[in-house]
Amino acid sequence: MSDLMTVVLPGDDVPPDDLPKAQNKKKALKLGPGLRHIPPETITTTIAGALVTDARKNAAWIEYNSGRVSALPSAPISVQPIVILDHVCHSRPRQAVPSGGSIGTQLTLQQYLASVGDLVIATVLSSTSEHFNCYITPHTHTAALPHLAFEGANRKNQKKLPPHSLVYARIVNSGKDSIPEITCVDASTGKGEGLGPLNGGMVFKISLSMARRLLAGRKGGVSVLEGLSEKMGFEVAIGRNGMLWVDAGSVKATLAVGRAVQEADEQGLGEKGQKKAVDRALKKI
Amino acid sequence: MPRETEISVNERAFIQQALQENLRLDGRAFDAFRPLELTFGDEYGVADVQLGKTRVIARISVDVAVPPPERKFDGIFQIIAEFSPMASPAFEVGRPSDAEMVLSRILEKAIRRSNALDTESLCIIAGLKCFALRADVHIIDHDGGLVDASCIAVMAALQHFRRPDVVVEGEKATILSVREREPIPLSILHQPLCVSFSYFEDGEIFLIDANLSEEQVRNAEIIVTMNKHGEVCQIAKYGGATVDPLALLNCTNVALQKVKEMSKIIQGKLEADAKKRDAGGLMAELSAENER
Repeated sequence: MSDLMTVVLPGDDVPPDDLPKAQNKKKALKLGPGLRHIPPETITTTIAGALVTDARKNAAWIEYNSGRVSALPSAPISVQPIVILDHVCHSRPRQAVPSGGSIGTQLTLQQYLASVGDLVIATVLSSTSEHFNCYITPHTHTAALPHLAFEGANRKNQKKLPPHSLVYARIVNSGKDSIPEITCVDASTGKGEGLGPLNGGMVFKISLSMARRLLAGRKGGVSVLEGLSEKMGFEVAIGRNGMLWVDAGSVKATLAVGRAVQEADEQGLGEKGQKKAVDRALKKI
Repeated sequence: MPRETEISVNERAFIQQALQENLRLDGRAFDAFRPLELTFGDEYGVADVQLGKTRVIARISVDVAVPPPERKFDGIFQIIAEFSPMASPAFEVGRPSDAEMVLSRILEKAIRRSNALDTESLCIIAGLKCFALRADVHIIDHDGGLVDASCIAVMAALQHFRRPDVVVEGEKATILSVREREPIPLSILHQPLCVSFSYFEDGEIFLIDANLSEEQVRNAEIIVTMNKHGEVCQIAKYGGATVDPLALLNCTNVALQKVKEMSKIIQGKLEADAKKRDAGGLMAELSAENER
């Protein structure tokens, strides 16, 4: 990962020198969020942010946070490749501008687009005979959560979820022309593995990039939750759709955790600022 | 038809529990407004109000029209408040929601019918010509408290606005452009402002300036409009649980204090803006305003 950061504006052409050099010439260059391939070999940016490259993965993407440039790099979870052989691109514009994946997720500022494998906090809207209709982002098409997609659920024993309750789920299927399907169970093991209905607690809205960084663990560079967990116990669930669910037992403690993360998100706090935010939050309890 | 997504059961329960423990989500006191930011545009009569994440822009424009025959000596003043999908995807153009009706009705009652603006001063020639003033309220971002923010925006914009001067000779009226004559401020009789109280637990808990999630949990709201002299212009309560009369009286007392604070902020911003425009201190000489 290069330490040097180039700030780019929408429409800028990315010079070939800034792109990662492939060690293996057969490995295609992967373009992440904010980059677009215009055949034959121009790569332009579609959003303002910092150009980040990863030589090992032969990938490049733009790091930004809702209009604010985020200095902390982390790898995109899924990128669709464009194939570059000996730096002569074969024109495959359809793949260079994918509609789904984390690329689409990042390009829209506030709105999350479902991508397979992502963990989300969904809200149940209604129930049909086969599945629950849930929404991942408000005012969009609902996602389907089958009644049987819970740990230990079978035809006789099904979960009852009232409208407007929350579930922590994984996206298993999301096509451009079909509604996304989500599940609360790992298909291979039949276990919930932390997924399922969320009871109690509170939901805090965070930016999409904050959610991504929180899920990326240490690579994401957010230490608020770790810092707080040294002094107090709480449960969290992070949804890629920009939701953070916290339950710390008491109202005060839950609020302190949620506010600390929101503060780090809104003010773009660095390592030191996050530590201070943690101290402030602990003092409140 | 799009509609506001309902708040989840977890959030609802949490907010209610927090209120019982005397806590608000953003750490404010129960009777505290979110930080109010007010900026004026380069043009006269544009006010941009930010109340937390809620943002409202009001714009005043003026035209010359024929006064209605039943009100020959009055000008025309209209307030147009429409929700646009820009503020929230739940808003749809051309299909007013209840909240939109409430907003335009309250603004109408609070500002227009309380005679905040002296419409007689907008008359040019009785029965023939008058100024038609129009206040457009644009909701840019919606996080609750639209009524309060819109009212501040309209009142600030009205106080900031300057109308062109006019010369009348017999039945001929000439509108003087800005280059010929310095435009004149409107004659504002008083400055009504709205304070909305959301109540919870059947009137046990009162909140000022609730944000969107608190608005979704509340029983109902009471909107009190007052000016800084303590004159109540209107009180509106649309449905919901009954409220103790004494609590209502207490609301008006709190509202007065809040209105005084906000009037002060608006006045301060207006003065700062006037100072910025008064380059070289020549404004007083340019002024064509009549001493009242």
